[in-house]
Amino acid sequence: MRRLGDLEAEIMDRLWTWNRPATVREVVDDINKTRPVAYTTVMTVTNILYNKGWLLRGKQGRAWLYTPVRSREAYAAALMEDGLGESKDRPAALVHFVENMSEEEQAALRKALRSVGRQAKAES
Amino acid sequence: MNAAPALVGYTAAVGFVAPHLMLRGSWQHRAPALAAAVWHTLAISFSIGATLTAYNLTMPAEHLHADLVGLLHACGVDVGTAEPDPGMAERLAVGVPAAIGMALGASFAFHAVRARRVRTRHRKALDLVGRHSARLSATVLPYDTPAAYCLPGRNPRIVLSDAAVRELSPEQLAAVLEHEQAHIAGRHHLFLAAMEAFHSVFRWLPLARHAREQTALLLEMVADDRALRSHSHEVLATAMYEMASARTPKGALAAAGQTVLIRLQRILGPREAAHPALWGSVAAVVVAMPLLPLLVACPPGLG
Repeated sequence: MRRLGDLEAEIMDRLWTWNRPATVREVVDDINKTRPVAYTTVMTVTNILYNKGWLLRGKQGRAWLYTPVRSREAYAAALMEDGLGESKDRPAALVHFVENMSEEEQAALRKALRSVGRQAKAES
Repeated sequence: MNAAPALVGYTAAVGFVAPHLMLRGSWQHRAPALAAAVWHTLAISFSIGATLTAYNLTMPAEHLHADLVGLLHACGVDVGTAEPDPGMAERLAVGVPAAIGMALGASFAFHAVRARRVRTRHRKALDLVGRHSARLSATVLPYDTPAAYCLPGRNPRIVLSDAAVRELSPEQLAAVLEHEQAHIAGRHHLFLAAMEAFHSVFRWLPLARHAREQTALLLEMVADDRALRSHSHEVLATAMYEMASARTPKGALAAAGQTVLIRLQRILGPREAAHPALWGSVAAVVVAMPLLPLLVACPPGLG
């Protein structure tokens, strides 16, 4: 059985891909190309997404038009950076790292980086 | 015989001296799982020692109420200076040790539950925003720096940025996935939660501070070693170097961050496995440590 979360993902995926306001009817029709789904189910889940703060909506005639609050990339960046405080001084940390390596360790790192570089060249 | 002085001495040694001994030497990085076990054993041993000390100091028969008041004062607890009555002392004898035990248990539950709530919220958002890759068995997020982390627990996820998928070679990617998988399979988040709990109860204790930091680093090394079983040192080291520029969410175990510096040096440096004799003796210490305070408190010959 499909979970509610799967349908949520399907709806969000379409709205992000289309990149324009869309009605529940459009989403239902698009999902119906691959599998049958009831209009009321999609409407309910879209409403859940709206209430959770993932979607904005505005009335056009008698139908609601839905848009994602933020782009997929913005959400992804927020997720990735969630709790960023931990290594704020990232470039400094890297410099510090290389400075603190012994000569043998630096040579080993250079060698490792070179061997991966060669692999990449051989592949392309 | 009154075991209180011996217990106080033992507990203090575990709490203040042992961490400094543990930070010395190089065997810890050669046998990270064993070293992590020692840190946990020290924490358990300290907890038992503290509990028994509290019990001994509050025993009504021992006329040690003054000691207890002094000890509590040292811990920043003001118990007042009322005359001790036997009933209260008896209640204290059971109550103080029980309070220590309950504080540790509650703290662990608090940290484990809070971390799980954060992870659940994060995972729900991930499932909406990310794309599941069946080939990698990972969730891929659009993000322009190579990065990877895992959400451990009951419904685990490995998360990769699409830049990582693009820029890392298939071998590097496989090594990174193996590393994250090791965190999930090893239930490393529970050990971290335990150390977090211990630290929030004994915040002022050197053992608690070092055990928490070292456990995080050692568990990363354990995961590195797991990845090194099926991948070369070059592959893992370069993958880590690529990702050292990335950042990772709190409450998640990361393949990048501060500890990456020490880990890279370890992966690239000369490799030597821990000597079996060392392994054996440290393992014996791990088993014996939690029992020591019990032996001190109730010497078998005097029972």
